[in-house]
This record gives sequence, C-alpha cells and structure tokens, in this order.
Amino acid sequence: MASDLLSIARSGVQAAKIGLDLTAQNIANASSTGYVRRSANFREVAQTGGANRIGDLSLSGVRLDGIVRNADAFRQAEVRRTGSDVARASAEVTALQNIESAIEQSGVFEAIIDFESSLQQLTQDPVDTSLRASVIEKARTMVGTFQIAGQEMDAAGEGMRFLAGDGVTQVNRIAQELARTNTRLARASDASSDQTALLDQRDTLLEQLSTYGNIATTFGTDGQVAVKIGGASGSDLVVGNSAASVSMATAADGTISFDVGGTPLTLAGGSMAGQQLALTKNAQLKADLDTLVDNMVTDVNAAQTGGDDLDGNSGTAIFSGNSMATLTLVATDGRKIATAPAGSAPRSRDASNLTAIRTALAGVDPAGTMDAILFDVSGTLAGRNVTLGALETIADTAKVALSAQSGVDLDQEAVNLVRFQQAFQASGKVMQVASDIFDTLLAIR
Amino acid sequence: MSTIFGTSTAAFYERSLMNLNALRSQAEETQAEMSSGQRLQRSSDDPVAASRLRQLARADVFDAIDTTATNRATTDLTLTDNAMSQMTSFVTRLQELATQAASATLSDSQRAGIGEEVAQIRENLVSLANTRDGAGNALFGGESAGDAYTLDAAGNASYIGTGQAGTISLGGGQAVSRGLTGPEFLQFQSGGASVDLLTITKTLADALTSGTGGAAAANGALAALGDGLNAITTAQTVVGSRLNWIDLNTDRRTALSEQRTTEKTEVGGADLTESIARLQNTMLVLEASQASFSKLANLSLFSVLR
Repeated sequence: MASDLLSIARSGVQAAKIGLDLTAQNIANASSTGYVRRSANFREVAQTGGANRIGDLSLSGVRLDGIVRNADAFRQAEVRRTGSDVARASAEVTALQNIESAIEQSGVFEAIIDFESSLQQLTQDPVDTSLRASVIEKARTMVGTFQIAGQEMDAAGEGMRFLAGDGVTQVNRIAQELARTNTRLARASDASSDQTALLDQRDTLLEQLSTYGNIATTFGTDGQVAVKIGGASGSDLVVGNSAASVSMATAADGTISFDVGGTPLTLAGGSMAGQQLALTKNAQLKADLDTLVDNMVTDVNAAQTGGDDLDGNSGTAIFSGNSMATLTLVATDGRKIATAPAGSAPRSRDASNLTAIRTALAGVDPAGTMDAILFDVSGTLAGRNVTLGALETIADTAKVALSAQSGVDLDQEAVNLVRFQQAFQASGKVMQVASDIFDTLLAIR
Repeated sequence: MSTIFGTSTAAFYERSLMNLNALRSQAEETQAEMSSGQRLQRSSDDPVAASRLRQLARADVFDAIDTTATNRATTDLTLTDNAMSQMTSFVTRLQELATQAASATLSDSQRAGIGEEVAQIRENLVSLANTRDGAGNALFGGESAGDAYTLDAAGNASYIGTGQAGTISLGGGQAVSRGLTGPEFLQFQSGGASVDLLTITKTLADALTSGTGGAAAANGALAALGDGLNAITTAQTVVGSRLNWIDLNTDRRTALSEQRTTEKTEVGGADLTESIARLQNTMLVLEASQASFSKLANLSLFSVLR
C-alpha cells in the first residue's frame, strides 16, 4: 500500500475525533448508573515490505482497534457479593427493629409488673374491693398489651412476607431481562459500542439481582452470562436465553421458603435471605410469648379455682386462651378473685389462696421470661447491627474501588479532551504540510 | 473510611456524601441522648443495660407497693398503740375506783355509785377492744371479718376473732405483724390463773352495784387490775418495737432505692458533659468536612483549562 501523507493525516484526524467523541460520551455519562468508562484502543496501520523490498516505507496511519470497557470482573464480583451480604443484613436488621418495637413498645413487660404488683398490694387487705378492682384492671391492661404485641408481630411478619414476595417478583423480572440481554449479546459484534452498552446493562442487572439473593456467575467469551441463584452450588436461574422462575411458599407459622422450578432454594445473601431469617426469628419469638401466655393462664387459673372468692363461692378462671391472640379476661369483677382458701365464709380475710395464686405466678415468672424474650430480640438486633456496620464498610469500599476503576474521572477526561484536541490540530497541520509539499512540487518550473 | 487515589468523580461525591451522612447521624444520636437524658433509645442499643434497667424498674414498682404496705402497717400499729394508751388510762381509773370501793368507810349505796362508773368504764373498754383499723376491720380481731368481741344477753364479752393478727410484707422478704389480737393483752396471768380484763371488770361492776360484798370484791380485783395494767403496757412495748422494726425497714428501703436510682443513672442515663463534648467534637469535624468538601468540589481542571 502506498504511503500517502494526506491519508495518514486523515486517519489521524479521524482517530482524534473518535477520541474526542469518547471523551464527550464519558463526560456526559459521568453520573449515569452502571456506566463504565470507555477508552479507545488505537492501532498503527503499517505494512511490512514484500519480498526483496524490506527497506520500503509502508505507513498508512492509525485505526480504531476497539472500544475498551474499563470493567474489572473481579471488582464487579466483589461488589455483587458484598452487596448481597449488606442487603441480607439490612433487611434482617430492619425486620428485627420492627419486631423489637412490636414487643417493647406494646408495654407488655410493664403491664406484667403492674399485674404482679397489684396482686402483692391486694395482700395488704384482701377484702378491699378497690384493690380487687385494681387487680382486674391491671389484668385487663396486661391482656390488652399481649394482644397488641401479638397483632404488631403479625403485622411485622406480614410486611416482611410482602417484601420477600416483591423480591421474588423482581428476581424473576431481572432473570427475564438477563436472558434477553444474553440473546442480544450473542448477536452483537465484538468491541462495538452496541456490545459495550449491552455489557453495561448486563452488569447493572447482575448488581440489582445480587441485592435480592446471592448469585454465582459464569461469563461466556461473547459476554453472555449464566447465573446460579443461591451461590455456586445453587440452582440455575439464567442459562443462555432461558430464565427459570423463583417462587415462594408460606408455612403455617409465617415462615417462608423459596424454590426454583420446584427445587428448594437456600439463600445465603440478599434481602430475601434477610427476610427469611427475620421471619424465622419472628415465629420463634411468637412461640415463646405464646408459651408464656399459655403457662400463665393455666397456672393462675388452676390456683384461682382452688380457692373461694369474696362472696364465698369457689373461684372461677380469670383468663382464657392459650396464645397472645386468643388471650382474654374472663373475670370482670374484682369480687371474683379467689383470695380465700376453699370452704371459707364470705368476706374472709384469710389470704392463703392469694398467696397460692402469687406463688403460681412466681413459678411462671412472667416478668423474668418477658425480660429474657426482650433480651433475646434486642441482643440479636444489637449483634446484627454490628455485623451490618462491618458489612457496609466492606461493601462501600468494594463499591468505591470499582467506581474508582470503572467510573469517570472528570479531571482525566479534561486532560484527554486537551490531548485529542491537540492530536486533531497536529493532524490538521500534517495535512497543511502535505498540501504545502504538493504546492512546492507544482511550483517547480 | 477508605481513601483511594485516582478515583472517579462519581466515587468522590459518593464517598463525601457517605462521610457527611455518618457524621450527621452521629451528631443527631448525641442530640437525642441529650434531649431525652437517656443513653438508650431502644433495648438493642445496649441489651444488657436495658435488661438491668427493666429489673430496676420492676424493683421500683414493687418498692412503691412496699411503701404503701409500710404506711398501712404504721397506721394500724399506731392506732393499736393509741387504743392501748386509752385502755391504760381507763385501767388506772379502775384501780382508783377499786381502791376507793375497797375502803370500809363507804356505804353500799356509795359503792353502787362507784359500780355504775366501773360498768361505764367497762363499756368503754369493750368498745375500745372493738376499735376498727384504717381499712374498717376490727383492730384487735385478728383476721376477723366483723367485730373482735361480742356481748351476750347478760353482757358477758367473748372473743370471736381469729387466733392471730395478719402479717404485712415490708419488702425484701421482711414482714411485720400488723397488730395484736384482743386475748394477747386482755388475757393475762393473775394469782396463778388466766383471767380476762373484760370479765374481771364485769364481775367487779356487778359486785359493786349488787350492794353486798362489794368491798371484798374490790379488794380482790386490785391485784388483778395491776396485772392487767402490766399486760397492756407490755403489749405496748411490743407494738413500739414493731414500729421500730418498720422504721428500720423503711431506712433500708430508702437506702436501696437511692442505690437503684444511682445505678439507673449510671447504666441508662446520659452523661451531659460527655455528650456535649462529644457533640462539639462531632460538629467540629462535620464543619471541617463540609468546608473541605466544598473546596475539593470546586477543584476542576475544566475551570483551569482555557
């Protein structure tokens, strides 16, 4: 190929223009989500001489070799992995906060103490009807707070299940989009701007997907991705242009489980895993509270029926029910509290059955059990908060590290702008020189 | 936070935002501590301290109940003491009357007059024995639902209360008997036999009003009345020592309550000085961060290249 100063300069101008275009594109997308900084790879166009013509000069300028997408697969994988962990931890922490509020803010603990103390106060004068009325009112408050706590916990569980259900919908949507992106990637030509845009889209989708569940990815040479959900040993979610479907099932106690096309799915990361963990904790705490209510109702009622009330009738149950939701106050009159032993005359001041009721209550130790339950949830939450803090720091660092490498630095783009501008001007100068040379040659007379 | 060189513009803004946000939330947390006076906004802020605070709150509630119990016991025992003081003055008067009646110089009709007064005093003694406590129950009737003593048609008093006075819990596993039953101090040993003050007073009044043998009966009653006075004052000493016991327990409870308050402040209270210093520190760092951010954000090559 014959070398030609003008065409070399033309290729230089073209290359500089491509460089300027890319720089402008980078600047324009400096704050676009998922945009990876592009840079141009230029190659010299030259030919080695043929046989016996080794000394020949054969230079033909520059050409665009490819658009480089400055994405580091390792850093991207780190962002996905740490993002998954943070999403799990933060979903769990949010849910646990709701559960903690449900139990703590409903005031169950205070109501239990008030009930216990009102019984103690009744020992001072077991026939005082105002003290008896106070016991019944405190019992009513306690029943109410237990019911509120139960409803609040149910509501918190409902919210978590809703979010997990939404997570399932999102995962299925993203899987479909990834499958479509795979199809288009298979058709896109290598290193084209079309391919880079599709790769950006693919990585954004993967990052979104990783916030719902932990995923493992395998990349093909043409940029297609195969996704397994639930980690490397999990089930296939996206293979080529087909996507599997995730679904969720709710058990009777409110806990949830996931499956991919019928295969059970165990999630270790992502918000769905956090919601699953929190729902398990919610079910456990609810069972603990229900057991406490059941024990208290059984033992207090048993002691109560062993004595006589203020009117000399044998005692009847104060409470009924065996869980927070079913707990109700049966006795509504203070006279019904059986403080006297069986067979006593009306208005007996003998408080030995009141002692029996208090002993029965002390045996259940509702305040101690409630304290333990509160400690359980708040201790778990405090621990998770620490974990979340650590995971957030790690995830933030991974994100910054990725964007430092793949994001747009405006200062660098400013420098590139100047550089390509100068290159453009220089190539223009070369054209002028070529024209001058041509003129010089024509001017020979 | 991390420092990475050669970062992208978006990363710079993101990181600055992260740092500023962290500082801001720190300042807000300290502010919430100061305005509420509580270090813990919710249990999970410090589960162990929160559990301790719950136990302290529980102790406080029971302490309030113990306080009312103590007040009730004090009232009952003071009422007992007052009733007994009145009884001693009546018994002293009875002694005077018996001494007068024992004198041979008095005529039978004069003795009958004395007998009327003795009978009157005896009625007072019976009604004192049936005094009610603060809650309207018989003070000397143990756990009786009604009166302590009842009078039959002939006017003989008999005890119908229970054998023992009830106890009242003072907290910390301590209890005090809230009073005395009638027989505990109205029945005493005299001349080798167990006698009842109300019975001997009735016998004396009957003997004096009947007109015959009044002097001898009065003479015989003198020793028994002396023993009766002794029995009442001894019982008063018991009541006094019980009141002392209550005072001791009140002191103990007050000390414990002070201790609890101190612990509560230590475990859950916010240290204002520390919080203010911390807030100042945070605010200073926040201001510095904001200032340096606005300076750094203004640094752009585009404004230099022309």
